[in-house]
Amino acid sequence: MTHADDNATALAAAELKTLLEPTPLPMLDTSKRISAADPLHTELMEFLVDEAEMLDNLQFKAWGATLAEDLEYNAPLRRTRTTRQQDQTVVRTVQHLHEDFGSMQLRIMRVADTTSAWGEDPPSRTRRFISNIRAYRTEQANEYLVRSYELVTRSRFDFDDFDLIPCERYDILRRDGVSFKLARREILLDQVVVGTPNLGIFL
Amino acid sequence: MPHIPILNDGTPLSELINHDTREVAMRTLSDEQIYQVEMKKIFAKTWVFLGHETEIPNSGDFLVRDMGSDSVLVTRDKDGDIHVALNVCPHRGMKISTHDSGNTPIHTCIYHGWAFKPNGDFVGAPADKECMHGKMMTKQQLGLKKARVAEYGGLIFATWNIEGPSFEEFLGDAKWYFDTLWCRTIEGMEVLGPPQRFVIRANWKTACEQSASDGFHTMTLHRWLGEVGPYAKKPDEEGKGGDLSPEMYGSEVWTDHGHTMRCIDLDRKIRRITGKDPSALSAREKLELLPPPGITPEMVPQLLERFSDEQLELMSWRPPQVGNFFPNGLFEFIYLPQPDGTVVGAMALHAYIPKGPDKLEFVNWILAEKDTPPELKAKMLRQSVQLLGTSGMVEQDDSDTWPHQTIVAKGAMSADITLKYQACYETKPPSWPGPGHVGDGFTKDDTQWQWWQYWYELMTA
Ligand code: FES
Ligand SMILES: [Fe+2]
Repeated sequence: MTHADDNATALAAAELKTLLEPTPLPMLDTSKRISAADPLHTELMEFLVDEAEMLDNLQFKAWGATLAEDLEYNAPLRRTRTTRQQDQTVVRTVQHLHEDFGSMQLRIMRVADTTSAWGEDPPSRTRRFISNIRAYRTEQANEYLVRSYELVTRSRFDFDDFDLIPCERYDILRRDGVSFKLARREILLDQVVVGTPNLGIFL
Repeated sequence: MPHIPILNDGTPLSELINHDTREVAMRTLSDEQIYQVEMKKIFAKTWVFLGHETEIPNSGDFLVRDMGSDSVLVTRDKDGDIHVALNVCPHRGMKISTHDSGNTPIHTCIYHGWAFKPNGDFVGAPADKECMHGKMMTKQQLGLKKARVAEYGGLIFATWNIEGPSFEEFLGDAKWYFDTLWCRTIEGMEVLGPPQRFVIRANWKTACEQSASDGFHTMTLHRWLGEVGPYAKKPDEEGKGGDLSPEMYGSEVWTDHGHTMRCIDLDRKIRRITGKDPSALSAREKLELLPPPGITPEMVPQLLERFSDEQLELMSWRPPQVGNFFPNGLFEFIYLPQPDGTVVGAMALHAYIPKGPDKLEFVNWILAEKDTPPELKAKMLRQSVQLLGTSGMVEQDDSDTWPHQTIVAKGAMSADITLKYQACYETKPPSWPGPGHVGDGFTKDDTQWQWWQYWYELMTA
C-alpha cells in the first residue's frame, strides 16, 4: 500500500466512525457550574427525581412526554484498559442503547400498549437512586448540562437477589415552560459485561 | 463404541433422551456433572466461534475470548496470521491478559514476568541469564497451549481437537448455505464495533437449543411484534392483527453436525414492496428489488459472479434468515420493514458462552459488508441495537425466559419433565436447490431435534 492509500483508508474509517457514533457530547465548561445553592439547581434536580419516580411507578407514557423530539439517548459499551489507556474505555460505535425519539416511543409503546412485552411483564420492581448532581450552563441559554450518578436496583419475579445497575449520566435538559425536556442522555454503565439479562428498563 | 456417561446417582445419560419420542429430560439443563462433561466433550472438541478478523486488523492486536469454560487469547502476529492460545500462564497459572482486547507485540505475565509471542511461543523470563524457568523443560515446552485455528468468511473459529475433523468437515452440508451469508463479497464483512456483552442466569443450552431455529416461539414470546410498530399487521392484511403466523412459512434446513437455519420465504415481502409477482421475476431481478441485508442493488453483480444458480435461487427466494453454528453461535440476517415502506437489513452474530450450569454470557456482534455504503451501515447498526442484544426489543423476551427453564430444571419432579420436539416435517419442498435435510411449510421441530442429536453424539463419543 502506498502512503496515499493509507491516508484514504484512515479517512474512510474516521468518516464511518462519525456516522456510526452519536453526535459528540457538548463540551462541559466548569466555569459555568450552577451552584447547588441556586434555585435552578433545585429545579434540575427535581426533574431528575420526578423522572425516577415516573419510571419506578411504570408511568411510561408520562415519562415519554418529557422527551424532546430531537432526543439522542445512548449507552456506550465499556472496555477494560490500563490506567494510561482510560481514553479507550468508552465505545460509542456499537452501544447497548442507540436511540432517538422515534425508537424511544416504540420502546414505550411496547411496554405500555401491548399485552405481550414478556421481557418486562410482569414488570421489574425498580428503584432509581439519583445523586452527585452537577449542573452547568451551556452555549444555549435554555439548555443545561447535568451530570448525575444513578444506581438502579432491579428485582424480578420472586428472585431473592437484585440486579444492580450503577451508572453515570450526562444529560442535556432543555427549558420547557415550568419544567424541562430531556434532549440528550448518555448512560455510562460501570460494567463491561452487563450484569442484568437485558436493558428492558429505562435508565 | 458409544461411551455413555453415568451420572452420580447411577443414571446413564442415555436415559435422559428418548430418540423414538424425541424428548430430552429437563435435568440436562441444570446438572453440574453434565455441564462438566459438556465442557470436555463438546467445547474442547468441536470448532468454537471466537470473533471476527476485523476486530484485530493490526499486527499485535489481540482479544480475550472464551472457548467453553476456558479463556483464550486471539491474536494477530506480525505476518498477519491469527493464533489462538490458552490465556493461562504455564508458570503458575496467572491469566496472561486481564483486558478484553488491546495491542501488544509481546504478552508479559504480570505475576513473574514470563513473556510470550502472539503465537504463544515462550520468549523468556526476566533475568534470562539466571534461567528463571529452570532446566527441566525447554523453552519450547513452556509456551502457551495452542489451539487449531480456522478462518471462514472473516469469522475466527478454533478447536482443541488438533487431529480432529477439518472446519469444512465440521460445517458439512451447512457450508453451501453459509457461503451465501458469510462469503458474499470480495472485500468481505466487518464488525461495526466490539460486541455487546451481558449475563443471563440460565444454562447455555436454553439459548442454544432455541438458536437451532425455533420458529414457533416467534409467534408467542415475540408476539408484541405483531401488536405495535412497523411490524404490526394492519387488521385488513393477511393474518389478523397480532398474528405472526404468515411469517412462519418457508423451509428449514438441518445438517448432521447440528448447524441449522430457517429459510423464510421472501415472496410476500417482494409482492408487498414492489407490487410484482415474484414467480415472474428472475433471481437477479428479485435480488435487485430486495437485496439481502447489507447488500445494495449495485452490489448484486458480485453475488451473481460468486454463486451458482442454485445458490442464487435460494438467496432470492428463501434465504437463511436465522440459524445457528453448533454448539453456541446464532446468526441473524433479517429484513426489517421501515415506516417509509423500504427495508433495512440487520446482520448479527451471537455467542452464548457457558459460565457454569446456571449462567451464560450473551455476546453480540453487529456486522455489515465492508462494501455496504456507510450511511446504510449506520442504519443497520441502529436497527440491530434496537431489536437485538442487550436492549433489543425482541431479544429481551428471550433473555427473560431462559432463567426460568434453568431454575425449574432443578425440581425433583420437574427434572424428569421433558423438552419435546415432536412436530415433524412431513413434506420436502417440491424442488430444493441445496443439500442437507429440508422441510417445507410451517415451522417444525426437526432443526432443534437435530441439535440435540448431535449434542448426544458428542456427549457419548
Ligand atoms: S504465573 Fe505467569 S510468570 Fe509466574
Ligand atoms: Fe427469540
